[in-house]
Amino acid sequence: MSLSVQTMAAIRFGYGIRPGENPVSHKDDLLARVSAGARAVPAFPREGLSERWLAVPQLQADLADNRKDAKAGAPDPDQRKRVQQKAERTLRQDAGARIIQAAISPNGFHERLASFWVDHFSVLARKSFPTRLLTPLYEAEVIRPLLGGKFADLLTAAILHPAMLIYLDQSRSVGPGSPGGAKRKAGLNENLAREMLELHTLGAGSGYSQSDVRSAAMVLTGITVNNDTMRMEFRRPIAEPGRFTVLGTVYGSDKRTLDDALHLLADLSARPETVHYICRKLVTHFIADEPPEAVMKPMRETWMATGGDLTAVYAAMLDQPRAWTDEGQKIKLPFDYVVSGLRALNAVDPGTLQIIDTEEEEADAPPPAAPKLAAATPDMAGAGMAMAPPNGSMAPAAGTMTPTDGPAGSAPPKPPAQMKPNAGTAPPAPKKQNFARALTSQALVRMGQPVWQPPSPAGFEEGFSVWVTPSQLAERINWARQAARRLAGDEDPRDFLKAVLADAAREDTIRIVGQAPNRLHAITMVLASPEFNRR
Amino acid sequence: MTEFLLSRRNLLVSACCLAAVPVLTPVTFAAMPGENRFVTIVLRGAMDGMDLVQPYGDPAFKALRPGLALTPDTGLHDLDGFFGLNPAAGDLLPLWKARELSFVHAVSTPYRDERSHFDGQDMLESGGGHVSDEKTGWLNRALAVMPRSDDRRAIDINTSLELILSGPNDSDVWSPRSDFSMGLDELQFLKRLYANDPAFAKAMEEAVRTDMAADILRGGAKNGGSGTADIARLAGGMLREKYRIASFSINGWDTHVGQKNQFAQAVKELALAINTLKDTLGPELWKTTIVVAMTEFGRTARENGTGGTDHGTGGCALLAGGAIDGGKVLGKWPGLADDKLLDGRDLSPVGDVRELAAAMLFRQFGVSPDDLTAKIFPGLSFDRSSPYLRA
Repeated sequence: MSLSVQTMAAIRFGYGIRPGENPVSHKDDLLARVSAGARAVPAFPREGLSERWLAVPQLQADLADNRKDAKAGAPDPDQRKRVQQKAERTLRQDAGARIIQAAISPNGFHERLASFWVDHFSVLARKSFPTRLLTPLYEAEVIRPLLGGKFADLLTAAILHPAMLIYLDQSRSVGPGSPGGAKRKAGLNENLAREMLELHTLGAGSGYSQSDVRSAAMVLTGITVNNDTMRMEFRRPIAEPGRFTVLGTVYGSDKRTLDDALHLLADLSARPETVHYICRKLVTHFIADEPPEAVMKPMRETWMATGGDLTAVYAAMLDQPRAWTDEGQKIKLPFDYVVSGLRALNAVDPGTLQIIDTEEEEADAPPPAAPKLAAATPDMAGAGMAMAPPNGSMAPAAGTMTPTDGPAGSAPPKPPAQMKPNAGTAPPAPKKQNFARALTSQALVRMGQPVWQPPSPAGFEEGFSVWVTPSQLAERINWARQAARRLAGDEDPRDFLKAVLADAAREDTIRIVGQAPNRLHAITMVLASPEFNRR
Repeated sequence: MTEFLLSRRNLLVSACCLAAVPVLTPVTFAAMPGENRFVTIVLRGAMDGMDLVQPYGDPAFKALRPGLALTPDTGLHDLDGFFGLNPAAGDLLPLWKARELSFVHAVSTPYRDERSHFDGQDMLESGGGHVSDEKTGWLNRALAVMPRSDDRRAIDINTSLELILSGPNDSDVWSPRSDFSMGLDELQFLKRLYANDPAFAKAMEEAVRTDMAADILRGGAKNGGSGTADIARLAGGMLREKYRIASFSINGWDTHVGQKNQFAQAVKELALAINTLKDTLGPELWKTTIVVAMTEFGRTARENGTGGTDHGTGGCALLAGGAIDGGKVLGKWPGLADDKLLDGRDLSPVGDVRELAAAMLFRQFGVSPDDLTAKIFPGLSFDRSSPYLRA
């Protein structure tokens, strides 16, 4: 027995059902979402790509100024802290936007692929302060637009992006025999070369040697990051002169150029080991922890026949009957769980890309005056209460609840989707923001999959047993309960179940949810159910 | 309805003094505008009234509930020689002795037969005569007809507005930061949810066996404090300020399995909520306060095969506050003999719990019987002779 195409498309190849969204009812629909997603502008970096590319060198300049002051004997730790906090805040906002982006996008398959490839080419946003700004940029300008094209292009752009070069220490690697290397007493760093072979292309244990790793590292020398612009650049003076053999092919010459590395990347992308490794990883990610050969084989053949056209490879996967059967063997990763929960609850307002707070969605009022409230009922202060007035209640209550310095009755506009770069300096109602963060970024930290913070260059684990654990389940139940309480409104749980589990609902789940002692717990159980956690 | 006091101790008194008890009128309230307080507590999940206030004097009781029925000899707190209070509610005894606590037995909403929690709670909160008759909450509709001043405001203690206070009239929602704790019945439901999925069942079982269950029950709250106490403290604090009406919920009552333990837990929360309200309000304001705790329906008269009870009909409501003349078990006891049970399984509802609520609105805020029976509880029969006006 298999589920309907719509349900499988949403659960296995998307971020779950979002009531009201046009369902995908055919394989070609899914592929169309890949190209649509590649053209779409994501919700991050929040200020847009070109603005972000201005902010990155500015951050470098601010940090450089600070170092200069310190060297001159006038250190300014406060300035340094401010600059760092701003970068951290930018990352935090972009991380939230990434979750919202996945929840709101109608191009679910593209979103899922973006997560797959950003994990495949993992970068740690907290590697440095510049990478806090660069990582969202990396996903937006490399991963998302290129994931439907040729693998070679995706690989090259990913490897050469400053976020990757910094994360895997290529920006510090210097050819030991290069003029720059001799002068600076700096040396080779193999990190990127190793991970490129082991994680990005051939795969561990595919037959390459330590000598291949070292040679590849030599080929990569010269590639670094400009300290002022923070763009990738090739600097011949630090490139190791000479010829280097990787997997039997010779790269380089006495006069090294960037082309040497580009040739290496092109060759790696076409190796059968690479094709095998990546097809296997795709099928493992989307279909089953034990990937069926029947699905992988036609994908490899398509890859070879098309020269690594990824959309054709995805199509070959979707063409296989097994891609549409045997549902429920995979567990959603935390990111997928949270995003699909937000989608099920229709929790994001497409107009503002903010989480819809059922308490405050209509309350166009200034944030509550917490200090005043605490003073009014001193014994309450310790309880840490917060207020959330619904619509219509503020007018008579304004005298009590409105901050004395606030414009009583006037409505601050909701923050636009694309926040200005300095939007963080004028935070919206703190309660609302905290609530949204608790259900998004913070929830993912607690569940063990913080956005853009993989535990290693290998990315996040995705095996079933890794994520079906007592503590993970407890976290997910708590999330489901909080989300249901905040976002479900007065939705009838029986309707909710039908809408979001569709034909994936098991008989006992339908029965138990229908008997739940209250609506809240019924909605919670829909979101906590095995079939909502599996795919 | 020929309802009245069941308690033997009060039977004689009430019979002779019925006519002499002064009926509170709106005029009385006009003379003290905006001072009275009213709190509703929705007990979600169908509170087992016969476990809270056990009719140990009914000859059929013990046989119906061999595992749950207690007597004063086995720990029940005797109330009046016929009814006794569940030992887990011991913290409520001081209120009972101070005549600030009563119970109303064998009551229900007009909801019958289906026994769905969702629909039952909707009926309880909307105050209608049938499912989906009313789209707004009765407490919200009551706000429109109360002689109100700006000083009289209503508040829902929750993270979102509950149906009982939902509607066109202003009411505010306040949330304590610490979450409501999850009821043991809800935890039981989660176990059932995962029962047929071995991987999830195993994870759940381990979570429950370790302290992660405590995490789940606390809703992930960092502090170990009870959410209920925070909620009640918040409600009491707000009632000391501008607010006169507050409503909140206590979950944990759907005791299909292992009721003894689960029920005790929920009852302790209820007792904690009421005592916290009293403490927070202080003695002066408590005198002006009435608390009504009610549930969507009762539970089966018979214990089931898993040490619990299933969805029933007739239930029990609780009345507390310094403004009541308490220490009574009100209602007309229908009896537990086979031929007295509704459908041969449930305690027969002999009173409409909406009448109790109507009487409290009349007493506390002078809402007229016409408004009460037309706008707030459509189809309810209620007038100034209602015995609950003297409760």
